[in-house]
Amino acid sequence: MKKIILSLLLIMANSPVMAELNIFACEPEWAALSHELGGDKVTVFSATTGLQDPHYIQARPSLIAKARRTQLLVCTGAELESGWLPLLQRKAGNAAIQIGASGYFMASDYVALLDIPSSLDRSQGDVHAAGNPHIHTSPVTILQIAKALSQRMQKLDSNNTAYYQQRWHDFNQRWQAATERWQRQAAPLKDIAIIVQHNSWPYLLNWLELNKVAVLERKAGVQPTIDDLNNVLNQLKITPAKMVIHAAYQSPRATDWLVDKTDINKVTLPFTVGGNEQSKDLFSLFDDTIKRLLEASQ
Amino acid sequence: MTYPKTRFALLMSAALLATTPGFADDLSDLKAEFSQMRLDYERRITQLEQRLIQAETNSQQSKTDIAKVNTQPVTQASKNNNSFNPAISMVLNGQFSDYAEPADGYELSGFSLQGEGGLAREGFSLGESEITMSASIDQLLFGQATVALHDHEGETEVEIEEAFIETLGLGNGMTVRAGRFYSPIGYLNEKHIHAWNFADAPLIYRGLFGNQLSTDGVKLSYLLPTDLYAEVGGTVGNGAQHPGSGEHNGIGDWLVYAKTGGDIGTNHSWQVGVSHWQAEPEDRAYSGGHDHGGDGDDPVLFNGETDISNLSLVYKWAPNGNFRQQNLTLLGEYFYLDEQGQLNNSTELASYNGQQYGGFVEGIYQFVPNWRTGLRYDWLGSDLRASDNELLSDADLDFSGFHPQRYSLMLEWIPSEFSRLRAQINHDKSSHNNDTQLFLQYTVSIGAHGAHSF
Repeated sequence: MKKIILSLLLIMANSPVMAELNIFACEPEWAALSHELGGDKVTVFSATTGLQDPHYIQARPSLIAKARRTQLLVCTGAELESGWLPLLQRKAGNAAIQIGASGYFMASDYVALLDIPSSLDRSQGDVHAAGNPHIHTSPVTILQIAKALSQRMQKLDSNNTAYYQQRWHDFNQRWQAATERWQRQAAPLKDIAIIVQHNSWPYLLNWLELNKVAVLERKAGVQPTIDDLNNVLNQLKITPAKMVIHAAYQSPRATDWLVDKTDINKVTLPFTVGGNEQSKDLFSLFDDTIKRLLEASQ
Repeated sequence: MTYPKTRFALLMSAALLATTPGFADDLSDLKAEFSQMRLDYERRITQLEQRLIQAETNSQQSKTDIAKVNTQPVTQASKNNNSFNPAISMVLNGQFSDYAEPADGYELSGFSLQGEGGLAREGFSLGESEITMSASIDQLLFGQATVALHDHEGETEVEIEEAFIETLGLGNGMTVRAGRFYSPIGYLNEKHIHAWNFADAPLIYRGLFGNQLSTDGVKLSYLLPTDLYAEVGGTVGNGAQHPGSGEHNGIGDWLVYAKTGGDIGTNHSWQVGVSHWQAEPEDRAYSGGHDHGGDGDDPVLFNGETDISNLSLVYKWAPNGNFRQQNLTLLGEYFYLDEQGQLNNSTELASYNGQQYGGFVEGIYQFVPNWRTGLRYDWLGSDLRASDNELLSDADLDFSGFHPQRYSLMLEWIPSEFSRLRAQINHDKSSHNNDTQLFLQYTVSIGAHGAHSF
């Protein structure tokens, strides 16, 4: 009996080693970034996978349980998670993750958003008042967010400040080097005409200076009608495009229709970490994205 | 005219002659002057170069500054709904109903229909229009109110469906809610009717609660710090909501509940809930099996104790957990009501022991992003015993033990998250009269984005 109690005490005494920063990431890209910056001082849970539409998530029991124990919420913001994150915050009974608390980190607060709509009306489809929320598709914005996230980690887990700082410097160097490499690789892509299925890519297009000539979804988030697609088809005859891109988690129906009607190249991009087998972390995500774009541009 | 010219030439030569004697000396002076000038210019060029470098550094500096600014938080206007205003949303719905049997003859055998428990008006009708406002009150509290407007016998009724305040992150998994709210007695009960999967309530909800049970009181919940979702909690209320009744100075009803749930892989998720509710109704009047029928002048009243237990099971499936494309929901709930006490009217009194029970199972399949179809089966039973059956008859309660059943089939078109068109057909055997019911319904929401609750 004594032995059992002793071993139990030992287990309990050992558990403070687990005094890690418990992070709840809404999307896989932020989970990956948290890993890069937090190393073995953080445990990270990703609420979604690369094959899920991050908007259409339900506040499932498993997510509530995770949100209750987290110290840091790392999400996109800009209304991307507006259907489920507020519910998690309310149901979790966790003061650390409420709006404005130190454990509430919205990545979109740290970058200038693109595509801020000039008018707000739901007849225009999925309108995001704050701007386009798909900010992780450019390594430049990721670096900005990484810096802010590292600072937040240092603030929350001040015992390990030096560790987080070292991780940040390391990541900063590797990421800048990688970004330059990607830019060199992607140089031939400059000004290439492309079509996108959904406006998931403004930050990527901006970064690589691709030329978006059409969007298949005339209204964001609304499946295009045959008329919409025919319009794009007619437009293609005047301004030809090299490729049409869509995210792995989206149904490729509209893209397939266009590929069927023309000789345009179809590109299924991973969109985020876990969007395909090759995209295991942020670095391989961009490696793979650039590779696929280059292949389709040949 | 030539004179001045000659004079000018003379003057010039004189001047030149004047300078010639010291020519060699002047050359060295000139040299010195030149070198001086060169030095001067070199100095100036170096200065300029330095200034250029300075300028370049400055611009470099400003570039770094820009980079710094870029990485600093961008101050933006509030991204919450309407900045400081509460999030406001409104649900509008209307329907067309068609019944094979007359709607006012509708009965649910073994149960007494209360409140909105009957069938919707036949023909075109405006359903409930709901306005919900919610916002953080301050750093501690969240508040939400839902006001419903609906027509009842030619008059517009305003009803406060919910109006509560709730703690925001009390910490340690604790949450306290106070006010009027839907009781956590069953899975569907906590959702607003427009979020249900069919146009009408499950028969057991109709029979026990007059569609939905709410509580005026306080709710306390505790979320366990486990990886598996586990929540326990309870409510206390004033006991006035049907099937409770009467004025209670203290606690008129109470409820305890427990819920657990989780995921199995990425494709499956589930939740199980149990709850138990108790009240001591005072003078609860039976309207009879008929909606708003019964003996208006001398109603049968119940006094005693009512216990209701619930078990609810939810299972959801979506390929890769991506609900957008396809998903399936299976839901089942079972309720058991047990009450003991007395029935009386102005002239008679009888002891009474009644059990009313039943449940439903439903399956909803969203096969493509904009279409869902669903099937539901309801089954009820009752065992009502009174020392004087005449009172049961007076209360219009069918004590034969008949089992009401109903089959429902629905098809929905969902153009967006904010609108829905639904067609539903019921084969209804709520009483000895079989009925076929048809509903065509629209439901839309405007304003703030609704919540995707599980």
